[in-house]
Amino acid sequence: MISDITLGQFFPGSSVIHKLDPRMKLILSVLFIAMVFVANNTAAFILLTVFTVVLVLLSKISLATVLRGVKPIILILVFTAFLNVFLTGGEGEPLWSFYFLKIYEIGIYRAVFMALRVIILIVGTSILLTYTTSPIALTDGIEALLSPLKRIGVPVHSFAMMMSIALRFIPTLVEETDKIMNAQKSRGADFSSGGLVKRAKALIPLLVPLFVSAFKRADELAVAMECRCYRGDKNRTKLVKLTYRARDFLTLIVFVLALVGIILECNIPSGALGTGAFLEFLFYRV
Amino acid sequence: MSNIIEVTGVTYLYSRGTPFERRALDDVSVGFRRGKITGLIGHTGSGKSTLVSLLNGLYKPASGTVLLDGKDIWESPKEISKIRYRVGLVMQYPEYQLFDETVRADIGFAPRNLGLSKEEIEERTLRAASFVGIGEDLLDKSPFELSGGQKRRVAIAGVIAMQPDVLVLDEPAAGLDPRGRREILGGLSKYVTEGGGSIILVSHSMEDMAHYCDDVVVMGGGRVIKTGSVAEVFSDKDALHSAGLDVPASLRIAEGLRERGINLSGELYTPEGVAEAVIKYIGGGRK
Repeated sequence: MISDITLGQFFPGSSVIHKLDPRMKLILSVLFIAMVFVANNTAAFILLTVFTVVLVLLSKISLATVLRGVKPIILILVFTAFLNVFLTGGEGEPLWSFYFLKIYEIGIYRAVFMALRVIILIVGTSILLTYTTSPIALTDGIEALLSPLKRIGVPVHSFAMMMSIALRFIPTLVEETDKIMNAQKSRGADFSSGGLVKRAKALIPLLVPLFVSAFKRADELAVAMECRCYRGDKNRTKLVKLTYRARDFLTLIVFVLALVGIILECNIPSGALGTGAFLEFLFYRV
Repeated sequence: MSNIIEVTGVTYLYSRGTPFERRALDDVSVGFRRGKITGLIGHTGSGKSTLVSLLNGLYKPASGTVLLDGKDIWESPKEISKIRYRVGLVMQYPEYQLFDETVRADIGFAPRNLGLSKEEIEERTLRAASFVGIGEDLLDKSPFELSGGQKRRVAIAGVIAMQPDVLVLDEPAAGLDPRGRREILGGLSKYVTEGGGSIILVSHSMEDMAHYCDDVVVMGGGRVIKTGSVAEVFSDKDALHSAGLDVPASLRIAEGLRERGINLSGELYTPEGVAEAVIKYIGGGRK
């Protein structure tokens, strides 16, 4: 069913990761993304994978849930992996060839790295942000981080408000879509068979009511906000003030160290750092 | 077989296999009689809406079977859309499902999906519209121009146009004024008496149940608490109370009179029945 989509869903909890300050989580996510894109050799990827697994374990979110978030992109992953395997040209003898199809060692490496990179990116950022941070906390964090831009006239608060409203209504819209789909199925609508044109046409009975109700909802929300004298961020105070705690800085230190480790690992040949040397040691012994 | 739909041992779970798993129906068994109006009543969250979504195959039960005319509706899952034409489901607040340019086209959506001829579609559209009291002058308007009550009726007509064997309605009168309620529910009784169909009617209103239904099924906490004729169910106060429901207002009045030593007899669950009983009592007293 459509409501099984977990990407962008918050799971309430009280793990270490849940308790981190949302601003810090955003900064950590940027560091994490940097790690993912810097990593380009086996040792770095092993380090990164271990790091991500530790994050998942710390968050106390079940592995099944985490993997379900990756499911929608599996097709794309497989497709890109195929392209990488067959289209990467290498030097020397190919591992396998069949007419014009050739597989080089480097192609396999690239395919695996690419797939791993995307999976780790999705799992890591959803653990840090969407799974463990409520949408309200997330937008609060974004607003706080972007607030310096207010000085040059960027309406940061309005953007944050728009974002939190949009996030807030995703589940509502999903539910609504489900409801309308069921209503139209009850009238014999068929959403899952026929050619492309037929399927696109079959969406009209779904999209028209969905848009009608979304506009109506937006209108009602605007009126409700006006009724409560909403006037943006002028003189607005917060119920929960964000404060950094010791654990925020500790996690930051861990992340920075991990990033530095991966950068060193990838830029210093023959692994001057522990992990690389350790791996080489392992492989030579075998 | 006298039951058009027979539900046996049905269990249904929402969000199966996630931390949000919730048991909405727990080993529910119930039969719905052919050619009758059966009321389905229960508190919010008692599983009424889930049960009706199982009847036309929108949801698949985790265990148990739903028999339509003695045949399991999930016997061949690919044919499930055929079941949906035979068990017409009108969901809660059905007016949100309107989408087409004209009322006529919207009511004709289901017959078009059925692949009927143009004449047949037109004929069914007109017939369905007349059941719910939508005049021909409204047929060429946009459904979005209509009033709330009219939209509701057009949406119901959109399901009636399939001419289902069983018409299932989830709170068809919710949020309507008393006159709107009467018109819609009265039109439905006509569907049974004139069209020969069966109806399953979900409602919160004990008064509507007493007035329009033949049988009543009481649900609570995902289980069936009591089934029987209107008279049987409404005389079992304990069952109603355990489902978190009140007895109809007219029955409460009769109870109050009894406490004061006035014993009425007859069908005391409708205002008309109580009025009659009171007249009989007064008349009898003067004789």
